[in-house]
Amino acid sequence: MVILRPEETGLKELLDRILDKGVAVDANVRVDLSGINLLRTKAHIILASFKTAEKISLDFPEGTNLNTAAWRDQITKQPCPVCGMESRQEDLKEEGCPWCGWNYRPDER
Amino acid sequence: MDGTTDQMRGKTMESTTLKPEKEDSGLAGVINKILDKGLVINADITVDVAGVELLGIKIRAALASFETAAKYGLDFPSGTNLNTAAWKEAMIEKEECPQCGKRVDREDLLTIACPWCGWESAKAKKMKERKVGAKVEVQ
Repeated sequence: MVILRPEETGLKELLDRILDKGVAVDANVRVDLSGINLLRTKAHIILASFKTAEKISLDFPEGTNLNTAAWRDQITKQPCPVCGMESRQEDLKEEGCPWCGWNYRPDER
Repeated sequence: MDGTTDQMRGKTMESTTLKPEKEDSGLAGVINKILDKGLVINADITVDVAGVELLGIKIRAALASFETAAKYGLDFPSGTNLNTAAWKEAMIEKEECPQCGKRVDREDLLTIACPWCGWESAKAKKMKERKVGAKVEVQ
């Protein structure tokens, strides 16, 4: 049986993409008045989901415990190409997807 | 009614029309997604006026649901008692059932079945087959 990835459309999918990819805003604004540098603003802003933030090693607020299981799993987990459910990357490669059965072959080994 | 109960037993799963409850793509769905995934907002902003650095802002913010925050070990306000049953429950890894959309214990969902709708993963099916095979051999 094959479960197809739920077809997401609209705002939700858009947001999902944006958070997964991350958004970086880098802005330099200068206001000069008659040759005099009046105002200068520099802004470096990053928005990302937790997973992406960890991948690109963004700072988390002080006091965050970085030793929880969720942190260890984050990088190693990958979505299955068929159903989109996440499993550990090595398991997905060697055994296949335990969720939908894509390439699943734990018996052969 | 009989047809649906058959489906619930997981026999004719392919033709099942059970749909996840959370198919809303409106604002509720968006908020749900953000809180579930968590959002990190980091910003460094400086404002100079006439060559003098007047204002500097450094933001390290993380926005997430209680469950996600607990999972990632975010710091909670002082005075929060992290030893309640709800927190322990939040630390168990959960996954959404692909069929009914309920959030259940990931291990149970993967190795047994969804306790709500009876959906079985490929792994659970293989394990079941193997068990049945072993029993037949014993007999």
